[in-house]
Amino acid sequence: MLVTARLRPPDRTVEVADVRRVADLLGRLDVLPGAVLVIRDGTLLTSQDELRDGDQVEVRFAISGGA
Amino acid sequence: MRCKRCRGAVVIEVRRHNAAFCRDCFFHYVGQQVTRAIAKHRMLEPADRVLVAVSGGKDSLALWDLLLELGYQADGLYLSLGIGAYSERSKRVCEEFAAARGATLVARDLAGEHGYTIPEAAGKGGRSSCGVCGLSKRYVFNRAALDGGYDVVATGHNLDDEAAVLFANTLRWDTAAMARQFPVLEATRPGLVKKVKPLYRLAERETAAYCILKGIDYVVEECPLVGGNTQMRHKETLNRMEEESPGTKHSFLFGYLERAAELLRVADVAELAECSRCGMTTQAPDDPAEAPVCAFCRSKARLVKSLPVVEVTAG
Repeated sequence: MLVTARLRPPDRTVEVADVRRVADLLGRLDVLPGAVLVIRDGTLLTSQDELRDGDQVEVRFAISGGA
Repeated sequence: MRCKRCRGAVVIEVRRHNAAFCRDCFFHYVGQQVTRAIAKHRMLEPADRVLVAVSGGKDSLALWDLLLELGYQADGLYLSLGIGAYSERSKRVCEEFAAARGATLVARDLAGEHGYTIPEAAGKGGRSSCGVCGLSKRYVFNRAALDGGYDVVATGHNLDDEAAVLFANTLRWDTAAMARQFPVLEATRPGLVKKVKPLYRLAERETAAYCILKGIDYVVEECPLVGGNTQMRHKETLNRMEEESPGTKHSFLFGYLERAAELLRVADVAELAECSRCGMTTQAPDDPAEAPVCAFCRSKARLVKSLPVVEVTAG
């Protein structure tokens, strides 16, 4: 199975094979679950949600810098 | 995992509260946190005219949306910082947000009003781009609120912002800065407008989730000048601690606000005076014979002197 993940910001897209749940995907991407939101079809996924072959998800970083 | 309130399907976990919510109950939770913040610190009165400082990012647009939903008379204030396409897109997003809700957006322009942009100012006069940006925004927000007769300026600072600032101030034991860090700053003198941070109980992941679930189009791209700044590094450090021990950021900030902030505030004896150039409030100089000049006027004078002179021919 293959999942396409668009990460932003900054914008880049990666393909990740053999990840069953969102938590597995974030682990493979080496991303802290508390720093991102995972979006599929306009709604949010939790770390326990299952991924399907061909899924296109966005991993959006929720941290922003400031003064 | 089921929604804590209604047992429905979950869209987001809030680990520091040991909770998870469906979409509608998450909106309820967010509204409740903002209402609690406003009530606890007497941030807003129902008849107040509120000026919301909006950047086009998730926090300020979520705040504006929430205040409008709660029935406040809230106008937006957008300050053009002159950061190329990023600033143009940010302004457009704010304009579209306002138009869709029939809300009022006040637009100000740093270059037009003060003669410099943030990229021009970066690194000059001893301040980083984020430093001069923060200084300029604080000044213009206060001034715009005074000019427009607003009672309060509301900013989108969230729990992560506040925890990261407190962390930085604590690392330096900057007790004067710590003493001024609070969810509400009252207008203690003429020339100062009350400042409030109604999102300080919400993590930035939650304000982003609120925007996504509500369909609020916000600027996802990071400011091109911010890359790897100190606050980002501190946030990353705190997030690693939070991952191991949910609630760390909340306890750090709320413990400070509940038990230490008052002690530091009493010890903060900074005397205030009127800036001799612009008339705004500033810290009084140590030497009473010296004319008070605020940080913004000092910084602006250095900047404008360092910029190339462009001759404009009339006609």
